[in-house]
Amino acid sequence: MEKRLTLATAAALLAVIGLLPVLAMVASSFHISGSFSLKAYQALLASSQQYALLLGRSVLLSFLTSALATVVGVPLGVLIGKSDLPWRGTFAVFFTVPLLIPPYLIAVAWGAIVGKGGWISQAFPSAASDLLSAAFFGLPGCTGVLFTAFMPIVMLLTTTYVGVVNPRWEDAGRLVSRWPHVLRRITLPLIAPAILFAAVLVFLLAFGEVGVPTYLRYPVYPLEILTQFAAFYDFGAATAAAIPMLLVTLAILALEYRLLHNPILELRAVMPGATRRQIPLGHWRLAVFGTVLGWALLTVVLPLAVLLIQSASPSAYIEAFSRSSGSIVRSLAFAVIGATALTLLGFCCGYLIHRRALPLWRSVDALALFLFTLPGTVIGIGLVSLWNTSMTNAIYGSPAILILGYLAQYTVLPMRITSASLESIPRSLEHAAQLGGASWFTSLRYIVVPLAKRGLIAAWLISYVFCLRDIGISMTVYPPGSDTLPVRILTLMANGAPSLIAALCVILIVVTLLPLGVVSLWLRHSARQS
Amino acid sequence: MKKAFWIVPVVFVALAIALWRYYSPGGAPTVVVYVSHDQVFSEPILRDFEKETGIHVRAVYDTEETKSAGAMNRLIAEKRNPQADVYWANEPIRAEVLRQQGIAAPYISPNGLGIPETFRDPNGYWTGFAARARVLIVHRDTSPKPTSMLSYTDPRWRGKTVIANPLFGTTTTQIAALFVLSGDERGHAFMQGLRDNAVKVSPSNGDSADLVARGEFAFSLVDSDDVVNRMKQHQPVEMIYPDQGVNEIGCFVVPNAVVLIAGSPHPAAGKTLIDYLLSKESERKLAFSDAAQIPLHPDVAGPSYLQPIASIKVMKVNYMEIASKLQTILPFLKSWAEF
Repeated sequence: MEKRLTLATAAALLAVIGLLPVLAMVASSFHISGSFSLKAYQALLASSQQYALLLGRSVLLSFLTSALATVVGVPLGVLIGKSDLPWRGTFAVFFTVPLLIPPYLIAVAWGAIVGKGGWISQAFPSAASDLLSAAFFGLPGCTGVLFTAFMPIVMLLTTTYVGVVNPRWEDAGRLVSRWPHVLRRITLPLIAPAILFAAVLVFLLAFGEVGVPTYLRYPVYPLEILTQFAAFYDFGAATAAAIPMLLVTLAILALEYRLLHNPILELRAVMPGATRRQIPLGHWRLAVFGTVLGWALLTVVLPLAVLLIQSASPSAYIEAFSRSSGSIVRSLAFAVIGATALTLLGFCCGYLIHRRALPLWRSVDALALFLFTLPGTVIGIGLVSLWNTSMTNAIYGSPAILILGYLAQYTVLPMRITSASLESIPRSLEHAAQLGGASWFTSLRYIVVPLAKRGLIAAWLISYVFCLRDIGISMTVYPPGSDTLPVRILTLMANGAPSLIAALCVILIVVTLLPLGVVSLWLRHSARQS
Repeated sequence: MKKAFWIVPVVFVALAIALWRYYSPGGAPTVVVYVSHDQVFSEPILRDFEKETGIHVRAVYDTEETKSAGAMNRLIAEKRNPQADVYWANEPIRAEVLRQQGIAAPYISPNGLGIPETFRDPNGYWTGFAARARVLIVHRDTSPKPTSMLSYTDPRWRGKTVIANPLFGTTTTQIAALFVLSGDERGHAFMQGLRDNAVKVSPSNGDSADLVARGEFAFSLVDSDDVVNRMKQHQPVEMIYPDQGVNEIGCFVVPNAVVLIAGSPHPAAGKTLIDYLLSKESERKLAFSDAAQIPLHPDVAGPSYLQPIASIKVMKVNYMEIASKLQTILPFLKSWAEF
């Protein structure tokens, strides 16, 4: 009873926090001047040809980004998570850095490298630099920047999942074949659902991206929604314009469900003491190391170097701290609270969908993923419409509204990670505890949570990163006088000195990496102790 | 693990309570202001206001870089239960939109009376101050120099010029002003001329200014503060006030505008802030800061790199007419931008 009640409450919470604001927005799109109207949708149909073109571009950009991220991210994830490649931990951190900063800033950094007047143009003949610049400001540049920004998702999920593949399967394979064949026929098929989820995630993140395509002058569909908001101040039309995006999203989700109709994720408990199987790279080790190092230098170190060089003066950091110390502290506090709340809600929802504890488990999964794909502005305006009343001022006028926004948009991340972590915990353990008279909460506390510890920490960290880097929701609903660091970076970008902006970006990266470092040290410490 | 099981919720609850208490309304006087003027320039003014009056300022910043999607949309979405007392708009059209939507309240500040009537609403729904001029940023190597907004359509500059997306910000306002001044037919012809002359469209004025500074384009129509900013960074650009000839249309001037929000929670503090922003001292500060805003009080002197408002041939337009025209030409501008 307590289990069903808790999980039902979590599902209801997600619906109230996430779905109600969206429904409020959709309802308002049918009301113009207080009466029912289909005008917003008629206007949408009238411009269908133009919208189809933009939608096509968005799908193409997202597909290319997702495909590239998967093609590169999966081998990298395997190398980092399963091979004896030197500097694996360092590479993992390096490749993750672009995920920590808003993609728009990565585009700006790359602009300083390959744009006209940038580093490359000074080193190459003008014809070559013109060609490079032209390619950068368009689909190739957009794809490259978004790929750099989102590839870590595929890499990290692959790294995590190859670590929890039951070694017995691989051992059996190794008896008759070599590692490449085992990887191709056993390991990767086993983690295919995780790879597919990562690819879908990257697709959806690229699909909703506005900042990078705008900066690189590649018109995409989400810009249409922004235009309705920012140029026409027409919330109804903006919501109507979001409908085609939602349809594409639903189609992608349906495809994912179809592909995972018979899930083959056969991960099983990695019990204490069990050893992971490592792939020896042998005489390829140096060559692979050189390739990965070169790739890291090109895609991560180079744009980061731009930020570091631009910010390389004490005065830039002094000004950055004097202008933004409050924003830094707030960002940290909001992200810690947001990540903790997300982990709690995500755990309940993840448990619900993994154990299929309630008949509506599939709806909860779809709802969480659906909310993740909505533009932050849409969720933000929905939250304003729903919570900005005199009765709920205590929530709307405080950071609670931001936390609600984070819960609405990012629950899918801890939910899916929890669900995957539960895969490695035999249900028989819970059943045994219940037969012994333990309540559901007791079995959670003493069995499930300790065994899913790594997954829950990963869920918290990923939630923390996404809360910290959020712009869409924060920009729309942050309480007056309480901006977050990414919002401050964006608002200071207009006519702010490049050194100041670069220093703030470096601070954002450090602030994000800080808890990752602490957790990493803690995990090493507990591993040594055990 | 047992310890961690309890530490996490305890820290979480403590942090949440601390934040809740911090945001609970206290006794100190407060004003909430939504700002579309660049934060890097507006924040120091608001801090000075805090120091001088003791009124705590809680601001929501927004910029043209984010297409002002934040502040304006919040003001409109919050109409039923306003949170803001004052809106500091970076151009008067947004202020006018708020008036039309019933979000602005009238307030005639005594400090605004010295500002020319052209730059304020006659009923006090908004008052302009500290203006930007819409000028040409020209790369130093460009020769000859363009002198008019109409240079965009001169075949000599084909493919060599850039303009910010006319759907957003001051570029929209200027195009609407051109439609008001020259009529729809010539307005459409100008826009077609831009298209025929392969004018590039950039995301914002700031990007346009950067593209010219990097030598990618010969010139662009931007705000005067964008040029001054690049000049102070020693970038190879010059500022030209366009259309200053006898028979030319003049330079379009875009003042900031301040609005009192109807039904705001702290109207008295809001009025105090409006008085402060419209004071000569604030205009002087904005002129001498990197914002390089042109003072509208006739007796406030600006820095040497800014022409006094009296010496500029200003485009003679009515901002309310521009706001109305803007509503009618937006669909056209949208289709133009999508082309």
